[in-house]
Amino acid sequence: MLLKVIIEKLAEGQDPLTVLNSYLIYFFLGEFMYRYFIQQLPVVELESLLHLPIGKSKIMHILLLRSFISPINVIALLLFLPFGVQVILPASDAVGLIGWIGSIVLTSWILHWFMLWFKQRFEDSTIGLLIVVAVLFLGSGSSYMGWFNLGEIMKPVFDLSISTPIPVIVLAILFVASYWLCFKYHFNNAYLEDLSSEENVRFTDQSIGFFSRFGLAGEMANLEWKLIIRHKKSRTYLMLSGFFLLYGLIFYTNPVYASDEGISTIFIFVGVFITGIFMIQYGQLFLSWNSGNFDFFLNRRGGVEELIRGKYLLFISVSVVCFLASVPYVYFGWQILAVHFATFLFNVGILVHAIIYLALWKPKPMDLNKGAMFNYEGVGAAQWLMVIPMMVLPYLIYLPFSFLVSDYAGLIALSVCGILGIIFFKPLAKLNVQRVMQNKYEISSSFRQEL
Amino acid sequence: MISVKNLKKQYKEAVVLDVETLDISTSECFGLVGNNGAGKTTLFRIMLDLVRPTDGTVIINGHQVNQDEEWKKFTGAYLDEHMLLAYLTPDEYFQTLRKIYGMSEADLEVHLGKFTELFNDEIRGKKKYIRDLSKGNLKKVGIAAALMGNPEVVFLDEPFENLDPSSQIRLKKLILKEKEDSRTTFLISSHDLNHVTEICDRIVLLEKGKIIRDLQEKEAMMSELEAYFTG
Repeated sequence: MLLKVIIEKLAEGQDPLTVLNSYLIYFFLGEFMYRYFIQQLPVVELESLLHLPIGKSKIMHILLLRSFISPINVIALLLFLPFGVQVILPASDAVGLIGWIGSIVLTSWILHWFMLWFKQRFEDSTIGLLIVVAVLFLGSGSSYMGWFNLGEIMKPVFDLSISTPIPVIVLAILFVASYWLCFKYHFNNAYLEDLSSEENVRFTDQSIGFFSRFGLAGEMANLEWKLIIRHKKSRTYLMLSGFFLLYGLIFYTNPVYASDEGISTIFIFVGVFITGIFMIQYGQLFLSWNSGNFDFFLNRRGGVEELIRGKYLLFISVSVVCFLASVPYVYFGWQILAVHFATFLFNVGILVHAIIYLALWKPKPMDLNKGAMFNYEGVGAAQWLMVIPMMVLPYLIYLPFSFLVSDYAGLIALSVCGILGIIFFKPLAKLNVQRVMQNKYEISSSFRQEL
Repeated sequence: MISVKNLKKQYKEAVVLDVETLDISTSECFGLVGNNGAGKTTLFRIMLDLVRPTDGTVIINGHQVNQDEEWKKFTGAYLDEHMLLAYLTPDEYFQTLRKIYGMSEADLEVHLGKFTELFNDEIRGKKKYIRDLSKGNLKKVGIAAALMGNPEVVFLDEPFENLDPSSQIRLKKLILKEKEDSRTTFLISSHDLNHVTEICDRIVLLEKGKIIRDLQEKEAMMSELEAYFTG
């Protein structure tokens, strides 16, 4: 429904179907990217099936079908079907609609099989990454630079699909072919050593020298850093922080939020996210990250305290990095930098304690070696509820001053709160340490999954 | 060295551990045996303050374990993989411990030198994370880590499990040597009666959380234990 409205708004006076058809290729490029990052074959199940007296080809078919049943594969359908019903059905007939939507969905599904094959074939190799980067550049760059318009090349296929069934038939053949390619490859490589990804140590020294100045806590921060870059799940969180740095582009360039004087209220939210996304995301699961080795820290003198101090150090350091990386936003005006600085102070002074405090409410164990996306292990009710105080807290301080005095007074209030929090860092951190110490038996036994 | 009094652990109605008194003297090698579910690991976990006792006290060298953390300075332990940092390589793990214990590189070399034979060139200098090691090698890393920092007391849960025969023999030699050189007190739980009777001066038999035998005479140990386990 929305899609039609959006297209009509963006490209007034043009036929929405023509516009959509010429941009569909970009949708598929986007799909290619997110499939590359998200999609995975449930290899784990292979391990428990291979030794049973079931034919290998049967196992492979089952596994591939299992991978096919996924929310990713209905996105295209959900997104374009309402549009098709609204626009194509009145203009053409049901056969045209089926042809059009069929070719879109089939393209999406071809990508599914292709990606499974592609990822397994080039997993972790430079060639694979290069291809992905090349696709990204071609997709975004080509029409922008005016070499050739990708949209125009693919457009006829979708235009044609409404009037004749040829594209659907061709795509269906391709679909079967891509499944076959995927199946053949997996069938020939159905050995655990080929499919399971036992990671080799790629870098010998991944420590961050800067941390070593902070003694034992710095050592813990270094350990945590290694934990992050050596597990898929935590790496995804780190990448997310990187993406969120770009978040500002959506808001700061939007004329709706630009005003001649003062600061749009929503910018506070954006600022909190840009400089604090890592601590918000990663901090939610504060101790769950260490659920596999919590006994290690319990068994050292002062181990748990140092672990928590190390985590503080890491969160604050990443926040500093995010703040520094967000400095170029000054291009959109000095007030943006002021917002980032105020929210940064607030994040490291106040929010970090609040997040950790909330995260310590019944931490749950999680297996870091399982997949990353859509893996909500370790996420309990507290982790979902946590979003509320994080959004509300900065506004509680900012809004009164912003209404009564001025927007800048609100920023100053945020900064002062942050600085106070930094000054009283030790007692505040101690509060959280004590909370862990009081609950250490419950936490460690739940991590060992005893109860 | 270690004294346990009126120790009890209860999950709702079920009593999983009930030890009235247990005293272990310095440089004793204390063996703990019993069938699955007898409470061996629970006893070790409570003694190491990883699990809260329902009642009773554990005192190591004058420190009550749930009151302060001083005893952790001279206590080493390896119970299970939760005590390792599985995402590090063994070398990184030892380095981390070196920093925690404030040892020098030379100290670490001397310490790990003692394990050369046990490690059998499969642990050090390998670019492999601990989580990808075999179960036996995992155990070797844990045991070497538990013995770091010259501990006076060492807890080992099933140290011989998953080790190959040569490694089992090497480990026995290592424990005996350590006991002789540094008067270390060892607490070892095991299902392997041969090994445990060979190296331990005293063996305690647990059944359903209770101590039902406390054997101190080496000659009689094996036959008594065999009589019990054959039922």
